[in-house]
Amino acid sequence: MSRAVWQTVLDEVELSVSRATFLTWFKNTELVSLTENEAIVAVPNIFAKRQFEVKFDTQIRELFEKQGQKPKLVSYVVQTSAKKPVISRETTITKSDTVSTTPLPRQALGSRASTLNPRYTFESFIVGSSNDLAYSACQAVSKNIGTKYNPLFLYGGVGLGKTHLIQAVGNEIMKGSPEKSVLYISSETFVNDFLESIRFKKKGFADKYRNVDVLIVDDMQFIAGKEKTQEEFFHTFNALHQANKQIIISSDKPPRSIPTLTERLRSRFEWGMSIDIQMPDFETRCAIVEAKAAVSDIELSRDVIEYLANSIKSNIRELEGALNQLLAYCEMRGLEPDIATVEGLVGNIRYSRPQHISPKQIIDRTARHFQLSSVEICSEKRDKHIVTPRQIAMYLLRSELHLSFPKIAQELGRKDHTTAIHSVEKIERAIKLDLLIREQVAEIREKLYA
Amino acid sequence: MDIVVTQNKLDFALTNVSRVANGRASLPILGNILLRTDKNKLIIASTNLEIAAIHRVGVKVSKPGSITVPAKLVTEFIHNLPKDTIHLQVKNNQLYIKSGNYSSTINGVIDDEFPELPSVDAKNAVSYQITTNDFKTATNQTIVAASSDSTRPVLTGVYWHSYNNYLYCAATDGYRLAEKKIIKTSSELSAIIPTNTLQEVLRTQKEDTQEIQILFDDTQVTFLFDDTEITSRLIDGNFPDYRQLIPTKSNTSFSIDEGEFNRVTKIAGLFARESGGGITITVDAEKSNIAVHSVASEVGENTSEIEVSVSGESGSVSLNSRYLTDALSVIDGKTVMFEFSGKLAPCILTSESKKSDYTHIIMPLKS
Repeated sequence: MSRAVWQTVLDEVELSVSRATFLTWFKNTELVSLTENEAIVAVPNIFAKRQFEVKFDTQIRELFEKQGQKPKLVSYVVQTSAKKPVISRETTITKSDTVSTTPLPRQALGSRASTLNPRYTFESFIVGSSNDLAYSACQAVSKNIGTKYNPLFLYGGVGLGKTHLIQAVGNEIMKGSPEKSVLYISSETFVNDFLESIRFKKKGFADKYRNVDVLIVDDMQFIAGKEKTQEEFFHTFNALHQANKQIIISSDKPPRSIPTLTERLRSRFEWGMSIDIQMPDFETRCAIVEAKAAVSDIELSRDVIEYLANSIKSNIRELEGALNQLLAYCEMRGLEPDIATVEGLVGNIRYSRPQHISPKQIIDRTARHFQLSSVEICSEKRDKHIVTPRQIAMYLLRSELHLSFPKIAQELGRKDHTTAIHSVEKIERAIKLDLLIREQVAEIREKLYA
Repeated sequence: MDIVVTQNKLDFALTNVSRVANGRASLPILGNILLRTDKNKLIIASTNLEIAAIHRVGVKVSKPGSITVPAKLVTEFIHNLPKDTIHLQVKNNQLYIKSGNYSSTINGVIDDEFPELPSVDAKNAVSYQITTNDFKTATNQTIVAASSDSTRPVLTGVYWHSYNNYLYCAATDGYRLAEKKIIKTSSELSAIIPTNTLQEVLRTQKEDTQEIQILFDDTQVTFLFDDTEITSRLIDGNFPDYRQLIPTKSNTSFSIDEGEFNRVTKIAGLFARESGGGITITVDAEKSNIAVHSVASEVGENTSEIEVSVSGESGSVSLNSRYLTDALSVIDGKTVMFEFSGKLAPCILTSESKKSDYTHIIMPLKS
């Protein structure tokens, strides 16, 4: 209620004064309480307080009256955090830098416009087995800023929800503790800012990046090969990490697979928690399609959902695209989205997807990935460097083509289907525990669909 | 507006006030100085929305009025005029300045847009009357330890507070800490004044300023002296409870002439540039001397020995020479006392002079 009143006041004032005046005085003001007797307006500093009392008071009273509010008294107070109780940590004065401080409210620092997209929240993120680890880590970080997993490093292929998750952390923090300053940037912005600060000797670069409570950097891989920028980021990283500020990074590869990333950055990125986001499984994809359709208030039949989820496997952005295309098409033609329409449409979208992957292709791909020949994989040899690839091939045959175990055994020249069962189970387990296997499987899968 | 004023008065006021004006602020008028008549005085003021500086200059007013003009231009013009009387007139938003053979017109802006200047209401304020000397000493002695790291705003100011019926000020950057007891007081205070504000007050004080009145309320502070009034916001937040960091006893202590200690520290510092200023002080209780040692692996090394009176056991400690010279350059009294306990505990530097009431803590280097 009081918020709406104040917003109306602000809107009117904005029209009557210059932009600079409005930004200087009215930004970060707030109507704290509004009763018949008194309206209390919170302002960021003493200068604003005086300015309001003398210059804007009449205008504000008029605008209150216009909305039918006639408080007898309008008073202005400086908003400070000093009056709130502060739980003080144990204070020491040491090299390890733990003199405890309370953060100044953002108003006092001059807040910057948030670069976060409010659409990305935890609520709108669909959790499945492929991303639940990353999801819980992000939630943990948003509740324990700077202490739980610092840095948090998320990696995974394009369109799997990295940006969504890391922005959700930012949004969640802003919601829970609005006095925190959260900076979300892509690594490209960082590079550009850095170059500008060198070229035009601009000041404030360090201020911008080191004055935040949470720094979120998207698409870190683009920093690869830029030595000086990496060095600058290294210093920024250290400054923040030492002050217990949260750092969140996303990239399309794990730190150690980013080429030309300097050793000291790599080790720092691996310091906290690094988690990958896998391709979503079938059920998750179904849930995503369903949720996205629900946003547009459309209910899709089960077979349509499943058809969509089945046709586009590796990229959620593409999946959303296909769904949007379907919904738009149906709306324009006034059709019900049924399976026939979907088949007609998605057939067009699936240009990048082979209709069928043959078992032979999977075996060949896997063999090539491990620098083996497909003959070797199918041979009787039981050397370790052949056994694991063979098991991965079996796993992929099962997971991608849903072949029966006897058929899998046959494809790989085995007589006994229990070998296939054992292999598939083993890889399924290993994927959960062994990062290396997980990555290799993901890479082969990506190549298969590329 | 139509007034006559002497050049030196106006020059002094403008020079001080214009430092506060900020031409790059979002609100362009903050780059201007306000000139406004008030009975037989001229108010000269500027603000950057952190600090507001107001000077009152006695003038001959023929016609009251006001205007704001760009700070830099008017200040430099007045500064270069000969010492004579100056005639100021405002017509159509222009300021006409005439003095002897010199005259100029400066386009101004009406003072409507100029921010109202805050000041602490004396009735509700905690007020202190301090001699300029005390203020200068206390400020210089503490400001040196304040932090410039804006990620921890509370450490970028000096903490003025009451404790056991005394007014104290203190500052720390996490590596060193300075505390000064100023005067006896019965009022309660806890306020963090930005270092910029204190420096501004120091700069503005004249040689012959005797006393300074300081008024605090919850969010702002006003300094009153001569014809000047400087008001600033206070830093919001809680200063760390630093008292628990000051060691109450030490294993080794020696007293030394301040000048001599400063000299050996500076000399040792020359050889410590590579190692981040690290010098080692070794105390020999039996020979009752200290050795100050520093090494620059590429250049050479340096050792200076001085006879001192030692109490306690022998020992050595490494610390940053810059921190030590900073402290020695502001400490009062001829003889200083240096105390420490082993390589890791904080070092304490105090003055032997009874009146000093100054404590400086320096953290040793880890090595």
